[in-house]
Amino acid sequence: MTTDGIKLTPSRRPAPVEPPTPPEVPDDSSSQALSDALRSSFAIVRVLMIGLVLLFLASGFFTVGPQEKAVKLRFGRPVGEGEQMLLGPGPHWAFPYPIDEVVKIPVGVMQSVQSSVGWYATTRAQEASNTEPPPGPSLNPARDSYLLTGDANIIHVRGNLAYRIKEPGLQYVFNFANASNLVQNAFNSALVFAASRYAVDDVLTRDFGGFRELVQRRLTQLIDRQQLGIVVDQIDLERIPPRFLKEQFNAVGEAEARRGKLLNEARNYESQAINNARAAATARKAAAEGDRARLIASVAAEAERFNHLLPQYRSNPELFRRQYQSETVNRVWTSAQEKWILPPGQRRIELDRQPPRLRTLSPLKVEEGH
Amino acid sequence: MKYNSVTIGIGAVLVLIFASWFLVFQVRTTEVAVVTTFGRPTRDIEKAGAYLKWPPPIQKVHKVDQRIHNFESFEQVLTSDGYNLLLSVYVGWSINDPKMFFPRFGGSESKAQASLEGLVRNAYSGVVGRHPFAHFVSTDEKELKFAEIENEMLQRIQADAQANKYGVQIKFLGIKKLGLPESVTKLVFERMQSERQVLVSEIQARGESEAANIRSAAELASAKLLADAEAEATRIRGLGDLEAAKSYEVFKQEPALATFLLQLGALESFLKERTTLVLDLDTSPLNLLKDRSAIPKAGK
Repeated sequence: MTTDGIKLTPSRRPAPVEPPTPPEVPDDSSSQALSDALRSSFAIVRVLMIGLVLLFLASGFFTVGPQEKAVKLRFGRPVGEGEQMLLGPGPHWAFPYPIDEVVKIPVGVMQSVQSSVGWYATTRAQEASNTEPPPGPSLNPARDSYLLTGDANIIHVRGNLAYRIKEPGLQYVFNFANASNLVQNAFNSALVFAASRYAVDDVLTRDFGGFRELVQRRLTQLIDRQQLGIVVDQIDLERIPPRFLKEQFNAVGEAEARRGKLLNEARNYESQAINNARAAATARKAAAEGDRARLIASVAAEAERFNHLLPQYRSNPELFRRQYQSETVNRVWTSAQEKWILPPGQRRIELDRQPPRLRTLSPLKVEEGH
Repeated sequence: MKYNSVTIGIGAVLVLIFASWFLVFQVRTTEVAVVTTFGRPTRDIEKAGAYLKWPPPIQKVHKVDQRIHNFESFEQVLTSDGYNLLLSVYVGWSINDPKMFFPRFGGSESKAQASLEGLVRNAYSGVVGRHPFAHFVSTDEKELKFAEIENEMLQRIQADAQANKYGVQIKFLGIKKLGLPESVTKLVFERMQSERQVLVSEIQARGESEAANIRSAAELASAKLLADAEAEATRIRGLGDLEAAKSYEVFKQEPALATFLLQLGALESFLKERTTLVLDLDTSPLNLLKDRSAIPKAGK
């Protein structure tokens, strides 16, 4: 700026000199040339200055993105009162730096922090390449981190917290020297808090949902109390038993699986046994029904025959008896497969003569004989 | 002369800008400022904006960040029942009285933080040492004093900071980590290991007894089903007998015939299939073969 001032002074000097010069124009051509040169340089300087001023003003334009709000600070003090100090998305103008300062607040942008307690010493690269240091029989507090559970067990938990700045977002931007660090620590604290009242098996398997809910509840509480001005979007947690005891914890899982298998088998047996019993019961009832029907039908048939035969019998009982008896005996004898008539005095008969003969002829027997 | 006024104007603006460099200062909305005249604090400004002052040799401006600062602290402490605990807390604090804060720490936040860390260390032994281990970690909600311990530490540090006229306020304090010394973690692992073994055998035994219970219950249930069915079958047969008995009424007209028919029927059905008959010659009508007297006299 000072150089501009210096350039201005010489350009001013020829102006008062000019009016008396016109008569001397032909005489002093050199001073004429000088004044022309000065005049044109003055014009250039003027254009430059206007350009600079325009540039200065234009540099005050800024745009606020769709997921942002902005606050204009004039001499360090927010312009506007309360909600009105927030500028929405679109183009805006402010004086350049020493006068105005624009602070943008990423209100709608999802941010995330990782918990920094609760996990053993490892890196993402080691995890990915499976080259984590092997677990030792103890945990060094300087390196490895973990959570203590309510039943004084050790467990590893880590998490990712996704959050957004809550509208209007002034607290988050203006009240904290390091807001994201506080969010992380609130998250850590919520994890420690929740673990301190949960049993190890509850965190690992039985009630992991409840554990995560407690973490979220405590975290929300801390956020409110510390007035961090953020909204929790999502909490992702990962938990494992101490790596040194992995096999022991797996053994419990296997025992659970075995128990489940035993129970399943027993339940299968149960349903099978009951189904079988049900089928047998139905069969027995059906058989009884059959017996009943048969009995009734046969008795009815007998009764009918009786009714039929009764008149004949009454007309001559003795004759009827003989006649009927011999008819029946005839039928029985004819249908008999074999009949033996023993002469008087013979007391022994040989039954079932065939099997021994069959046995001697059995080819199997012959084979065995060789 | 037209240029003159313009240039004088511009010159004045430049001088103003130049002067403001020395005479004006800004206080941002996150800050408060203390102005010292020849080294002594004379004015403090809590509202943001632009202010005037004398140029440097006379007055100086010291700005103090009013935002909440935080730091962490880590300590090994002994609980009242003799357990060693590794405890980490994080603390949020801010400067609430610049006039007090400024002379005390010369406006340096890091110096203030170092002093506060000392207060936190005192609070560790003073507060944590009065609580047993179960107040930190317990499955019994009533026993747990986690939040209370945080509060006690906060109040103690708060009170100490006030008593020492730090001009700062402790906004919050939270436990961010709880641990045990390395040698103790080894013991914990050993205990956990035996707990797991107990659990395995417990689960196994429970599974076996549960399965056995289910099986015996199933057997009982199916036996009962069968017994019920048997009873029902007997009842049905009884009903059949009852109904059949109605038909037997007919036979009462001539019991002798009925008995005769039943005997014949029984004989027939008894000798129905695959029967081998062994008869002797005395059986009628085979007796005809040997005994001529059996031929009816009527035939003569």
